[in-house]
Amino acid sequence: MRVAAASPLESIAGFAALLRDHGLKVGIAEQQAFVQAALLMPVERAAKLDAAWRAIACQDARDWRRWPELFERYWHPQRLKGGIRVSGQTRPQRDLRQVVQTLQESLGDSAPRREPSSRALDTALDVPGYELAESDTPRAQGGASRTEALHDKSLSEWLPQDLAQLDLLAERIARRLRERLTRRWRDHARGARLDVRRTLRASLKTGGLPLAPVWRRPRRERPRVFILVDVSRSMETHAQLFLRIARAFVLAVNARVFVFHTRLAEITTLLQRDSATVQEKVNAVTAGFGGGTRIATSLADFHGVHARAQLNRSARVWVLSDGFDADEPERLAEELAAVRRRGAQVTWFHPSERRPASTAMQAALPLISRFVRLNSLRDLASAADVLH
Amino acid sequence: MDDQALRESLHRAGYIADEGLATTLWLASELQRPLLLEGDAGVGKTALALALAKSHGRRLVRLQCHEGLDLAQAAYEWNYGRQLLAIRLHETTTERVAESDLFSREYLLERPLLTAISSEQPCVLLIDEIDRADEAFEAFLLEVLADYQITVPELGTLTARHVPMVLLTSNGTRELSDALRRRCLYHWLDYPTLAREIAIVRSTLPLAESALVEQAVAFVQRLRREDLGKTPGVAETLDWVRALHRMKMAALPDDPHALMATLGCLLKTREDRFQVGPERVRQLIEGRRSTGVAEKAGAA
Repeated sequence: MRVAAASPLESIAGFAALLRDHGLKVGIAEQQAFVQAALLMPVERAAKLDAAWRAIACQDARDWRRWPELFERYWHPQRLKGGIRVSGQTRPQRDLRQVVQTLQESLGDSAPRREPSSRALDTALDVPGYELAESDTPRAQGGASRTEALHDKSLSEWLPQDLAQLDLLAERIARRLRERLTRRWRDHARGARLDVRRTLRASLKTGGLPLAPVWRRPRRERPRVFILVDVSRSMETHAQLFLRIARAFVLAVNARVFVFHTRLAEITTLLQRDSATVQEKVNAVTAGFGGGTRIATSLADFHGVHARAQLNRSARVWVLSDGFDADEPERLAEELAAVRRRGAQVTWFHPSERRPASTAMQAALPLISRFVRLNSLRDLASAADVLH
Repeated sequence: MDDQALRESLHRAGYIADEGLATTLWLASELQRPLLLEGDAGVGKTALALALAKSHGRRLVRLQCHEGLDLAQAAYEWNYGRQLLAIRLHETTTERVAESDLFSREYLLERPLLTAISSEQPCVLLIDEIDRADEAFEAFLLEVLADYQITVPELGTLTARHVPMVLLTSNGTRELSDALRRRCLYHWLDYPTLAREIAIVRSTLPLAESALVEQAVAFVQRLRREDLGKTPGVAETLDWVRALHRMKMAALPDDPHALMATLGCLLKTREDRFQVGPERVRQLIEGRRSTGVAEKAGAA
């Protein structure tokens, strides 16, 4: 029987390895806490170890939701309904209750305590691909995976779980958005500058004696991101997916999101909440817009009305569009120039293989900082290096 | 105290915990680790700390976090006014005041963290809405939570006499650092199930009619499935049932208009009020789901 073959500590190490494979941060300290919890818990209540270990291993809501499945899969694989075939690595089956019992027998207070075997520690330190050495354990079938590489998937083939990856990517890009000085200072002859007003305010609690002077510090701000998504007919197949990306950035960097075709509307508040009806609401907002795309008019509305007070040197304007404009060709360049005059940088994301080449876009070329192709997650990942 | 006893004592203190939560609390006290509670606003994170303090007969020390919270407000501060006064008083006499006298515990103003660390009796420390505090403050907390000690440069390191039970709550407005998360046990508090919420309302409002409580809680549970800007929490349910009870209702009325005026207890934004009109309220009372496109087409 497998249970007899593996020591409880090895079982726990195996479980920890499974958790790590699924992105939970379970290191030596957490495994020690697992063992501690198991020893504290009376055998008859071993079923509650689930809750105890969950509190130790999970660090956020995502881990929390994933836990029941991982726990069942390792300790009670026979209970899992439906044929999930695990390719790659598999781990031996064990009954949790028996593990707790043997653990307490071997490490109980009466018996002399022994340190976790070096094998178990090795397992904990090892790479996830580690296999417990058991003759009847099904072997991993090489490194091949049946899951499709998400990176190359076109955006329209996404499944809900892929969105989690998008969120991670958006967070990575958000971290790369560098904080910038709001103002450049000349070196002061006498070093740091005193913040007179704050020093006086702070001196009130010391009876007016400025014991703790407050110095001025250069202020740094993260860039503000504005995302403009083209939802016209020509972009129909891409718009929904662009909106998903926009949503990821609303959560990651507090971006403001607008949709446009003949007119412009802000949809940030609609995207802030995770809701099944987001798409319906966006449709409702844009329903009366009519056909065609008026990028220049929408841009004018954007910098003149909606983002009037926030377009400055630290603003990033990301336009997600194919660049087909029904306005007069020269107007796009005019409006983009107006955006640039405020100091904002414009990045143009296009779904097509090549950068947009319409007449309007030709004129606007010098005003756009960079063009980024965006049709898959890999495109976005590679764009991460240039978006700053 | 094992987890079952803990659960019962929490129940007596007016908090109805499920098994998983009781086990986590028990483990936190056994391992002497802080517990990080996350969940939507209004699911009872802060109430848990209050109930825990009450059930253990311990003092609750609460630190409400906010943006710009600094060491002086959270841990300790020197009482400059008194120090200056002491210096002035000594100026009139010939004896000089020693610096070590000025920086003694006498002149130290204790703020919540230091209060919890230096408390003579074991206490419960609630660090509320930690996600609102800055990252710098979070880093400072690491020392407090790992070793239960605070270092005051002028005095040295003050170590806790009794390890306090520490609860941190977060609404998830900001991502907390991994370092902080790793030091804590974690529990996600979800909205209570129908049975548990009924039990909560009953234990808080024992005088309310049983039928009213059951119907009202079922109504709120259905309402939570709606696409609302602010999903009503347990506190809102309690408010609403309390209001209905005051209006001497024995059960939910059939006429939704009678309820509309009380919905302010549950729906806290204009959009939500707009979205849940009388017709929708009637459907929610009857327990019907909203009519989908397919059903409409089927009816036609």
